[in-house]
Amino acid sequence: MENNIIAQRPGKKIYRVGDTAVKVFDSEYSKADILNEALNQARVEQTGLNIPKILEVSKIDGKWAITSTFIEGRTLASMIKEDRENLDKYIEKFVEIQLQMHSKTAYGLNKLKDKMNEKISAADLDATTRYELHTRLESMPKHKKVCHGDYNPTNIIIGVEGSAYILDWSHASQGNASSDAATTYLLFNLEGDTEAAQLYIDLFCKKSDTAKQYVQQWLPIAAAARLSKGNDNERDFLMKWIDIIDYQ
Amino acid sequence: MDNGSREVKTDFIDNPNALIEKMENMKKIQKDFAKFSQQQVDKIFFAAASAANKQRIPLARMAVEETSMGIIEDKAIKNHYASEYIYNKYKNTLTCGVIEENSSYGTKKIAEPIGLISAVIPTTNPTSTTIFKILIALKTRNAIIISPHPRAKNSTIEAAKILLKAAVEAGAPDGIIGWIDEPSLELTDLVMKNSDIILATGGPGMVKSAYSSGKPALGVGAGNTPVIIDESADIKMAVSSIIHSKTFDNGMICACEQSVTVLENIYDEVKNEFIKRGCYFLTPDETDKLRKTIIINGALNAKIVGQSAFKIASMAGINVSGDTKILIAEVERADASEELAHEKLSPVLAMYRAKSFDEAVKKSEQLVHDGGYGHTSSIYINTNETEKLNKYEEAMKTCRILINTPSSQGGIGDLYNFNLDPSLTLGCGSWGGNSVSDNVGVKHLLNIKTVAHRRENMLWLRTPQKIYFKKGCMPIALNELKTVLNKKKAFIVTDKFLYDNEYTKPVTDKLNEMGIKYNCFYNVSPDPTLGSAKEGAKAMSDFEPDVIIAIGGGSAMDAAKIMWVLYEHPDADFLDMAMRFMDIRKRIYSFPSMGKKAYFVAIPTSSGTGSEVTPFAVITDESSSLKYPLADYELLPNMAIIDVDNMKNQPKELTAASGIDALTHALEAYVSLMASDYTDGLALIAVKNIFKYLPAAYENGAADMHAREKMADASTIAGIAFANAFLGLCHSMAHKLGSFHHLPHGIANALLITEVMRFNASDKPHKMGTFSQYQYPHTLERYAECAEFCSIKGENDWQTLELLIGEIEKLKNKIGIKKTIRDYGITEEDFLNSLDEMTNLAFDDQCTGENPRYPMLEEIKQIYLKAYYGE
Repeated sequence: MENNIIAQRPGKKIYRVGDTAVKVFDSEYSKADILNEALNQARVEQTGLNIPKILEVSKIDGKWAITSTFIEGRTLASMIKEDRENLDKYIEKFVEIQLQMHSKTAYGLNKLKDKMNEKISAADLDATTRYELHTRLESMPKHKKVCHGDYNPTNIIIGVEGSAYILDWSHASQGNASSDAATTYLLFNLEGDTEAAQLYIDLFCKKSDTAKQYVQQWLPIAAAARLSKGNDNERDFLMKWIDIIDYQ
Repeated sequence: MDNGSREVKTDFIDNPNALIEKMENMKKIQKDFAKFSQQQVDKIFFAAASAANKQRIPLARMAVEETSMGIIEDKAIKNHYASEYIYNKYKNTLTCGVIEENSSYGTKKIAEPIGLISAVIPTTNPTSTTIFKILIALKTRNAIIISPHPRAKNSTIEAAKILLKAAVEAGAPDGIIGWIDEPSLELTDLVMKNSDIILATGGPGMVKSAYSSGKPALGVGAGNTPVIIDESADIKMAVSSIIHSKTFDNGMICACEQSVTVLENIYDEVKNEFIKRGCYFLTPDETDKLRKTIIINGALNAKIVGQSAFKIASMAGINVSGDTKILIAEVERADASEELAHEKLSPVLAMYRAKSFDEAVKKSEQLVHDGGYGHTSSIYINTNETEKLNKYEEAMKTCRILINTPSSQGGIGDLYNFNLDPSLTLGCGSWGGNSVSDNVGVKHLLNIKTVAHRRENMLWLRTPQKIYFKKGCMPIALNELKTVLNKKKAFIVTDKFLYDNEYTKPVTDKLNEMGIKYNCFYNVSPDPTLGSAKEGAKAMSDFEPDVIIAIGGGSAMDAAKIMWVLYEHPDADFLDMAMRFMDIRKRIYSFPSMGKKAYFVAIPTSSGTGSEVTPFAVITDESSSLKYPLADYELLPNMAIIDVDNMKNQPKELTAASGIDALTHALEAYVSLMASDYTDGLALIAVKNIFKYLPAAYENGAADMHAREKMADASTIAGIAFANAFLGLCHSMAHKLGSFHHLPHGIANALLITEVMRFNASDKPHKMGTFSQYQYPHTLERYAECAEFCSIKGENDWQTLELLIGEIEKLKNKIGIKKTIRDYGITEEDFLNSLDEMTNLAFDDQCTGENPRYPMLEEIKQIYLKAYYGE
């Protein structure tokens, strides 16, 4: 199996085994998080979205593993990288897939607000800033849209037959789509791709008929959630986005 | 959320359990405080205000050191203001117990505290807002729990402690002021959910939380005050006022100016004045740098709030001198996409150029709409420019519009103006999503109970100015037209029968004798129509009389009244005039005033309608068959002449029908909701005399002029009674019965009156009528009084009523009135087919409202059926 490794992330490795993809978690990985990811994916599957289907949750050599269908194709990220000239076209496709996802509801997914509140509390921030962020989050409208939580071009696969699949549902929740868009915008910026970030936010707002300020209101929250991951090299950038104040 | 399961401490509030215990305790303490007298409260209010005043500078220093925002010297002024101005404003305001009493109206207002107030305190003005909120809470006998912002918690809590100590020393219960020691959103939410009212000051996020807590909230929102400098303004005053306001506490008051729009032809002068007074204009490059520094992703960088111009410039990499007052950026767009169009909470100002005043107003509207809906706007202008000012005041959707005033100091009230309440919590109305649009003060922290004693509405007795009576009096009365009133032209209205039979001759003879010109209109039908009234009015307009003489029965008098209206007010709308009222004194429609063109004299020739002394007239629109019953005292004739010589030869049927109509008038007026001692005497004498004289007048006609005269007077007397006490259900039903089945009005009344009396007499009616002086169902007693006045008496009131009804039946029989509706040849089929519609219309008749028993539709129907079948 070691030869068929297709991706490696902190704490997990993904292998291809025949027509399936097997995600094997390190032994320290939280059992609850693993089962939650499988459950998330199963719930989203029911919405009819194009995503890999869960086939099995099992233990392989004493380690938890999630087996799902293998999607043959290329990630949108690699397509963008090779064909940068057509960035506009790819971002448009990227936004369309996201909006289709936002049009779905999936009963039982964790609530985005709960998740964000936990992440704000867990972030390395002073009490004042956490207070401001909690207050900001509290005042945001509650929705029930399927949100990915880590929506970026590396998680989109364009299959050989041309249809798009969304992968990696470990951060999925139900909530306000603008929060999901803020996270995506933040991820582009963290990658240093400000051109794609700008294209993305403009297109998202236009196609979803959302005011840009409304997505912007989520940015400090998205940044705080990201900060909770504890990546030191991102801290300065994120703090700049977080340390803002509500108009009085 | 931040707080997990820390140990419960009751004295240090940093966890939900401790907070809830604290608040429960405070609620108990407040119950004692609620019993304090005004004198005790005022002593506490004074002590707390004094203590805050004394500590204004240490508190200012503490706030600046803790938050690293603002200026000590300015915060000292805010603290001073929050203590002194609030004390001065409310020192004499009554806030405990009875605060207002009006013994003649029987009303009283009693102020009660609301209970436990939660106060959310912002970082920008922590100590002054705390002082303000605590003072108004103490003045209103409320407990208050302070929820500080974590950034300003020490100074906020210190302010609260100072006030609590002073209040307790002055007699307030210990613990009446509380606070959260370690603030978190969880605790703030708890405070809001468990208090009785929320005084939220802060950003939109906090205000939204307050409004969604489920408790009443006085929350306020973001400001984005735009300023216009008009070409007529005093430029030196305008510029220095703006600088004075914008630099105050480094621009942290929410009412502070955020942009200035200057008219083109004074733009350079204004700019030079700003520069002269120490402001710095940024180059386009510098403006861009500043944008990136102060606004991040469309929001305000927390680091620049309340900082000096110099410090902000340094952060943006812009070189300015250390004493720079304001950084001014010249920009063009006023919508939200321009970073500098936002609220900046710092000495940074956007400046716009406007070609015209209208353009400047448009920009201000946009700025208010995008960032400060409902908050504050400001203009510098010569106050003689009223047209521009009016335009501006109309356009601004802000709850404070300040003229020639620094807005930081102006918006908080009472410093630079009169009558704008001093406050540090400024309502933004529904525009800002707020429940209040004025500056928050003690009135918002009280529950005012209004005690209202039962009072009876004003009544009145209104009659024509002159009522002349006695046989043969008409020519003498008419003398006045010449000798007293000096009239020149008379217009006579009568019907054809009377005209043909020379009933008008004594009038015209007299007019000839006096040399008064006259014209006569006699095309009036029994149910006068709008068409004939219009025709008469046309003739009137051509002839231009200064006196109208109506001679005839109800129809001629009603028609003449309508012609009078059309003559005086050709555009009058009868549909409006006929609008129903509950109380004529409170009616919606205001009747046009009458008598400017002509004086109105009414001379009855039958004894029944009373129209000569009533404010009523009924007219039928023959095109739509609609009847317009008009009622207003403007329709009262000016002079009524009751001369039995005009009635001598009434036919028997007319004597019967009009006589029984008069009896019904008197009986209904006597039991009406609006009956009074003033009308009762009139109604009683009318009833008595009709019983006594109607049979003889009917039998003997002109042969018994005494009976005739008694009937003439009784009819007019009943008219005065019902002109003021109004009628009841019998008339409502008779109006419809008469018009559906072509029965004379008096006959229709005669067929219904006894059933209506039985209906009204019930001592447990389904519903009684609504009028304050009608205290309980007592119509049976009223009928009995009426009967006894006529010497009819049984062993009890019920028996007396039946005897009275028996007498009425006997009277009807004597004057040839049949017993039932059926007896008048109306077929059962016709009657039943019309029954539902008659019932509905009778219910809606103007007379129904004054009936002592409020009729249900089904009850009206049953009365009709009984009157039809006689059983």
